Amino acid sequence: MTGTLSTPAPDTVALDPDRHVPGVREPGFAQTLRAEWIKFWSVRSTPWSVGALVTLGAGLTVLVCAVSAADLAAGTTGEAAGSFITWGMTVAQITAIVLGALVVTSEYGTGMIRATLTATPHRGRVLAAKALVLTGTLFVAGAVTAVLGYLGGNWFLEQEGIGLALGDDGVLRSLVGSGLYMAGIGLFAAAVGLLVRHTAAALSIVLALLLVVGNMVMLLPGAWGEWATKLMPGNAGSVVATPVSFNPNLLGPWTGFAVFCAEVAAVVLAGYLVLRRRDA
Amino acid sequence: MIEARGLTKKYGDRTAVDGISFTVHPGRVTGFLGPNGAGKSTTMRMLLGLDRPTAGSITVHGRSYADFPAPLRQVGALLEARALHPGRSARDHLRWMAASNGLPVRRVDEVLDLVGLTDVAGQRVGRFSLGMGQRLGIAVALLGDPPVVVLDEPVNGLDPEGIRWVRTLTRQLAAEGRTVFLSSHLMSEMALTADHLVVIGRGRVLADCSMPDFIAEHAASYVRVRSPQTAQVADLLRRDGLEVTAVDDELRVQGRDAAAIGELVGRQGHLLHELTLVSSSLEEAFMTLTAASVEYTTRDRTPAGATR
Repeated sequence: MTGTLSTPAPDTVALDPDRHVPGVREPGFAQTLRAEWIKFWSVRSTPWSVGALVTLGAGLTVLVCAVSAADLAAGTTGEAAGSFITWGMTVAQITAIVLGALVVTSEYGTGMIRATLTATPHRGRVLAAKALVLTGTLFVAGAVTAVLGYLGGNWFLEQEGIGLALGDDGVLRSLVGSGLYMAGIGLFAAAVGLLVRHTAAALSIVLALLLVVGNMVMLLPGAWGEWATKLMPGNAGSVVATPVSFNPNLLGPWTGFAVFCAEVAAVVLAGYLVLRRRDA
Repeated sequence: MIEARGLTKKYGDRTAVDGISFTVHPGRVTGFLGPNGAGKSTTMRMLLGLDRPTAGSITVHGRSYADFPAPLRQVGALLEARALHPGRSARDHLRWMAASNGLPVRRVDEVLDLVGLTDVAGQRVGRFSLGMGQRLGIAVALLGDPPVVVLDEPVNGLDPEGIRWVRTLTRQLAAEGRTVFLSSHLMSEMALTADHLVVIGRGRVLADCSMPDFIAEHAASYVRVRSPQTAQVADLLRRDGLEVTAVDDELRVQGRDAAAIGELVGRQGHLLHELTLVSSSLEEAFMTLTAASVEYTTRDRTPAGATR
């Protein structure tokens, strides 16, 4: 042994980790939330998705009301005007799903998740902050979209004398409910993203479940089909977002939304357990 | 200070890291050297709490990484694979990281300036060259001004100017009293940067010593002797107790320096054409040490049609 450099330096480090930051606070949930907020809005997919949600949701509602106002007034469709006043949200939910999935899967696709978890090793806190940023944004965007669609669509309905007042049964509830449903379905997609860690896979699963399986189960015989239809997440959760549902056999708006919330919570819990256990 | 104790990571049947123990001390650059697939990155990921050890532990100042409330202020890390969203600007990437650990925005501009990315801070990182990406990674590592700096393959993709910059920077960080842990599969780079070496292969520690010790122990040297009277000279040297190997038309002599060998041969009146001290490079020493543990080796191919 030569003896050079063989003396290890003392175990203590003289550097004070806080020296650059006078009066620094221990970072907590507020810091994680702030970080997730910056992350959320500093990629293009977020403004694009939110923009698409508002445009599709409000635009299609207005379009559908404009086209069908005369028929609705004549009573030839057998449908209520209330079924149309938030119609655009059924399409807009796809953008909420895309945004929700991307918030999680883009981190896995790019390797960002490793930066996220080295900055905040507390994985539950990361998930909570992500969920709050996502659902908060989607709630506001969904509710604003529904209000815009209502204002535009109702103008055409009023021309035919079948306008809906905000105080009418379920109208105000459906506007707030649109925000709630967008937030819920986006979180659902994010949680599926945690389970599969892949954008295309997460989108396929959620869209198939909502748009294909949700309608296919109606074909099941008897009570099976009836209940499976009522309990599918998209069917249970979306009733709250419309004054009058097209399908009269679904659960009530708040009962359905409670079932939907329980389903979302279950998938989020599964996603959380996977996030905690698996290597990043 | 970083301490690994019996650190083990298994992926199914495959053991990536096999019960390794080592200590990384402050105030010097410790090189973490091993061929690809030796377990370097896995060890780094366990250090940062990204992967969970199957057994054992790796701690920083006696604590698990995940136990630090503001880890970026304790440990700065450059990860080998890029951990960036290509659509986000360099400044935004640093901004969210700073926010997550309660660091002021001022610090973002400081590190951007330090790594020379101020002019391109607003560009999306997807457009960055490999070298710019590495610089951003180093900015991330230094963001919290941490006493422990962990750099996984920092010179990958850097031009010679960038390589020299990283070398100077790491030396400077160590001189400031920080713990610097630097992984590489390039021995030549380590020789210029590291004070201390931890060499691993197939998930096991093969050497844990200072750089001079490593050179003394593993970098063999010999004296090349060429003479028109090869046989007589070889005989003479062997009789004197020296180790002589004949390779082609030269003799490789170990056990004495060139001057002593020259005198010995000259006194017997033999002719000499060449007398040279040959030191095998550190690269070769490293290759020899890890030869048995390289995961994917290339074989010399038998020329086609040479089958018997």
